[in-house]
Amino acid sequence: MEKKRSSYTNYKPEDISGVKLSEEKYSVIGKSVPKIDGRVKVTGQAKYTGDLKFPNMLVGKILTSPHAHARILSIDTSEAEKLPGVKAVITHKDVPSLKYGISPARWDENIFCIDKVRFVGDKVAAVAAVDEDTVYKALKLIKVEYEVLPAVFDVYEAMKEGAPLVHDEYPRNLNAEIHQNFGDVEKAFAEAYYVRTDRFVGNRAYQAPMEPHSAISIWENGKLTVYCSTQSPHYFQYYIAREFGMKMGDVRVLKTFIGGGFGGKLEPTGLEFAGAVIAKMTGRPVRMFYDRADMFAHNRGRHRVHMEITTGVDKNGKILGVHANFIQDGGAYTSLGIATAYYAGAMLPLTYDFENFKFDMLRVYTNLPACGAQRGHGAPQPRYAFESHLDRIAEHLGIDPVELRLRNARKPNTVTPNDFGVQSCELTACIEKAREISGWNEKKGKLPKGRGIGVAVGSFVSGAGYPIYRTDLPHSSAIIKVGEDGTSATLYTGANDIGQGSDTILCQMAAEAMGFTYENMKIVAADTETTPLDFGAYSSRQTLMSGAAVKQAGEEVKAQILEMASVMMEVDVGDLDCREAVVFCKSNPEIRKSFGEVARTFFVQKGPLVGRGVYSPPKLGGKFKGAAVGTSPAYSFATQISEVEIDEETGEIDVKEVWDVHDCGQVINPSLLHAQVHGALYMGMGETVWEEVVFDDKGKILNPNLGEYRLPTALDMPKISSELVESYEPLGPWGVKEVGEGATIPTMGCYNNAIYDATGVQVNSLPLSYEKVWRALKEKREKEKNKEE
Amino acid sequence: MYLPDFEYYAPSSLPEACGLLAQFGARAKVIAGGTDALPKMKQELMAPEALVSLKNLSQLTNIFYEQEKGIIIGSRATHNDLANSPVLQEKYLSICEAAHHMANNQVRNRGTVGGNIINAVPSADLPPILIALGAIVKLVGTGGERTVPLEEFFSGPGKTVIKQDEILTEIILPDQPFTGSTYMKFGLRRSGALAVVGVAAAVVMDGDICKDARIVLGAVAPVPIRAKKAEELLKGKSVTDGLLEEVGVCAAGESKPISDIRGSAEYRRDMVRVFTKRALKKAIQEGHC
Ligand SMILES: Cc1cc2nc3c(=O)[nH]c(=O)nc-3n(C[C@H](O)[C@H](O)[C@H](O)COP(=O)(O)OP(=O)(O)OC[C@H]3O[C@@H](n4cnc5c(N)ncnc54)[C@H](O)[C@@H]3O)c2cc1C
Repeated sequence: MEKKRSSYTNYKPEDISGVKLSEEKYSVIGKSVPKIDGRVKVTGQAKYTGDLKFPNMLVGKILTSPHAHARILSIDTSEAEKLPGVKAVITHKDVPSLKYGISPARWDENIFCIDKVRFVGDKVAAVAAVDEDTVYKALKLIKVEYEVLPAVFDVYEAMKEGAPLVHDEYPRNLNAEIHQNFGDVEKAFAEAYYVRTDRFVGNRAYQAPMEPHSAISIWENGKLTVYCSTQSPHYFQYYIAREFGMKMGDVRVLKTFIGGGFGGKLEPTGLEFAGAVIAKMTGRPVRMFYDRADMFAHNRGRHRVHMEITTGVDKNGKILGVHANFIQDGGAYTSLGIATAYYAGAMLPLTYDFENFKFDMLRVYTNLPACGAQRGHGAPQPRYAFESHLDRIAEHLGIDPVELRLRNARKPNTVTPNDFGVQSCELTACIEKAREISGWNEKKGKLPKGRGIGVAVGSFVSGAGYPIYRTDLPHSSAIIKVGEDGTSATLYTGANDIGQGSDTILCQMAAEAMGFTYENMKIVAADTETTPLDFGAYSSRQTLMSGAAVKQAGEEVKAQILEMASVMMEVDVGDLDCREAVVFCKSNPEIRKSFGEVARTFFVQKGPLVGRGVYSPPKLGGKFKGAAVGTSPAYSFATQISEVEIDEETGEIDVKEVWDVHDCGQVINPSLLHAQVHGALYMGMGETVWEEVVFDDKGKILNPNLGEYRLPTALDMPKISSELVESYEPLGPWGVKEVGEGATIPTMGCYNNAIYDATGVQVNSLPLSYEKVWRALKEKREKEKNKEE
Repeated sequence: MYLPDFEYYAPSSLPEACGLLAQFGARAKVIAGGTDALPKMKQELMAPEALVSLKNLSQLTNIFYEQEKGIIIGSRATHNDLANSPVLQEKYLSICEAAHHMANNQVRNRGTVGGNIINAVPSADLPPILIALGAIVKLVGTGGERTVPLEEFFSGPGKTVIKQDEILTEIILPDQPFTGSTYMKFGLRRSGALAVVGVAAAVVMDGDICKDARIVLGAVAPVPIRAKKAEELLKGKSVTDGLLEEVGVCAAGESKPISDIRGSAEYRRDMVRVFTKRALKKAIQEGHC
């Protein structure tokens, strides 16, 4: 009858004597393991926020302004409230009046407009009801009396003395002004062999993620839980708590699956705030949602930007100095736009080595939807301007465009004029490889009429060096908990998989660091209550920053495993290692124990086996105003070459092939990496040729739908060759850097240069639409004809 | 966006359907595939009290050849029915191709040729090629049936000569002497884009002499139009690239485009020149394609 407790078990350790351990350097990273959520997504099992259902849940929407600029005289909600099924109608009177935003420098938004509306789509009221149809009906019953005010839609008009003010506090509608001056640009220009100025316009584009924004708010015992479609649960938690004067601990923000963000889901929308208020009022969960047109109106996409760029070079094409003079149309609110404004200039000196750099920028309010961060944050359009401009300089000097870039390419272990430290940098290798695989030398100048080839480069941060709001919190942290029987391990991280695959690569990294297997990893991510802090998915930060925290956590697990095994196996811990879930003696790998057995013994003897990791970037950047924006522990570099064929009669652009060569450090998952290149190129290409948010003369969007806002289709995609160069970043875990945004950056300039090569015309405003190319060709023909006559 | 409330009928016979239309008058609308009607209702561009669905009138989906009469296309045939029809593929591949390049696969599975015609948007893809091939439409109402040449059917954007109680039942393509025909759509991306310009051409060739020609332009006037002067310019002549360019210029002169978010009038007019030339060349060289 008496049995010793310790033997009260049927546990039999797994037989691992036959397991053959890989002889490669790494067991899990560097491999294209299947995406951890691939199966649930393709089978439709994955539930996005908008799919979730809670007992008694209401649905709600926001009523928006039909006018671009108007004073609110009165709001009458009585008819809407009477409609059967309506459970709440709220306006600014029912919510805090504290202004919010995402850039702390300019918090300028209210949950609902109080005195006036500032763009078509500005938030006025919200309704929640038992079903969607009732919500739409109720929205129509809210009567808002407006006094329409004169509006401004153009930055130059907006800056004029006496122009209508979007915000009274900002004279001439100047939302932000940047004047940075490094070195002595005037002197560089004076000494230059050739100085050239070109002007370009970047278009207003929208991220258009597949999944519309939605947020479900639930109150329980004074605690607010918000499921939402967000790129950063942490920032949402911070801003929601701040708005309602709550403790952060009483606000839980989490997500299920996210259908893309691309910068458009980084800041709270009215959905979270309005939902929280209605859920409290009604005592019922509320799902607030945007439809496609709402998404376009909420916007926060790419700014329209007017760019003047001047460069001085010596005889050999060496860049001596650059002056970037830009004006951005910010729309009606700041959003992330201050950062966008800084990024627009700050990222220019990364790719080329020059010392004198001047950057002037005005960000101007207009009565249009607010712009914010979109993939490549501020960098792609200035890059288009710079790269197009450099090709004109190369042409003037008679230097091959690839050669010009090689002569100026940044080298490793250098510092930019604006004080960004660059360690790994294989830009030269990228350019050379792109030249080789594209057959540049055989093609340049030798293609048939109407065909052309173009080149451009780019660079991007691997995570912003500073958080969005001022805080000394670490940027990333992670916990790994090994299951009690040692057969699985769960990674807890605040990092946020929005489709890009961070759950997968972080599990790969965890398994590698622990000496475990990817297949047995589980993940709980992006939940402010159950997972440790991470700032989320933006600025291409998670592979490096979240990865660093995960690596540390994994190593902590491994150290504990080896120590335990040392006792169990009576082997010196220094002689032990663990990979692929096998603990073995380095001196004789046949002496081994399974990870599971060791982990289980650990649990039996010591309790939960947990590893922790945390990451803060080193102190980065200079001391001047705005020095923080653009800092990063590491920068990716890329070169793109594209070959296009232009239909000279119609202006139609047929992209034949694109070669993208990246320096993104060491690769964790090649197939996800190339998928990022394809996706980024897809987006870059859309903005380059087709995409533009268009307004009527009253500020109303004419194409707030996927029919007329033309994203490229599969048929429009060219053949893509995505290649890498050998690179290792000393400040990244396992030498990693970013890739998600970098590949968006060169595309616009690269295509423009290819079009010029094909036709001899340059289109100086994005998108490079068929009609613009047609018009440029027509004007060229007319000019040539006039010359002949 | 949501669908406003409406009553829904799915009659099982044509007379019943016409009766419902007569009974409700202007307050009722026919619905076939719904790919035009439902988005419009969601956008509040129309608000019918009743929708009369044709879904139980399955005889309207047939596509077949009848001696003496020609090819008969049921109005409820979908774009994919057209694209995949062996009868059409054999005689007028140009119609199959036009249908195949519309919209996207989901819409092609639901959208119908009847809906495309009755909807009467200037950029609709099927009317130009059907007019070029001499299509006649059959209309059935409470008072009986009648036929109208498709060329005379449109009266303005969104407007046709159909009467409130009538249903478009068939599109008839009488036997034709044409040796070649084609429809070229110029859209702003390769799929899922409406026509900025659409040009249909049908020709009767005898060696390199063009005996007869029809040129129909879409998206460049309130209704699809024949470029009759351009047709005359071509007839009876030996075809050269120079002549086709002249014909293109002439057709461009006959078009009356407007500027909108898809393109300026100036651009559209020049695209008429380009695609008239290209469509004619294709129809001349490749037959029905
Ligand atoms: C995403 C998308 C892409 C599209 N792309 C294209 C494109 O590339 N080219 C193009 O031409 N169109 C395009 N369309 C428009 C549309 O799909 C077509 O016009 C289609 O043929 C309409 O047919 P339906 O059966 O869906 O019409 P419905 O929506 O059912 O009806 C349209 C109209 O016709 C009337 N009607 C329909 N059938 C009859 C009948 N037999 N008798 C009398 N009245 C009738 C209805 O009352 C209604 O007013 C697109 C639509 C969408 C949503």
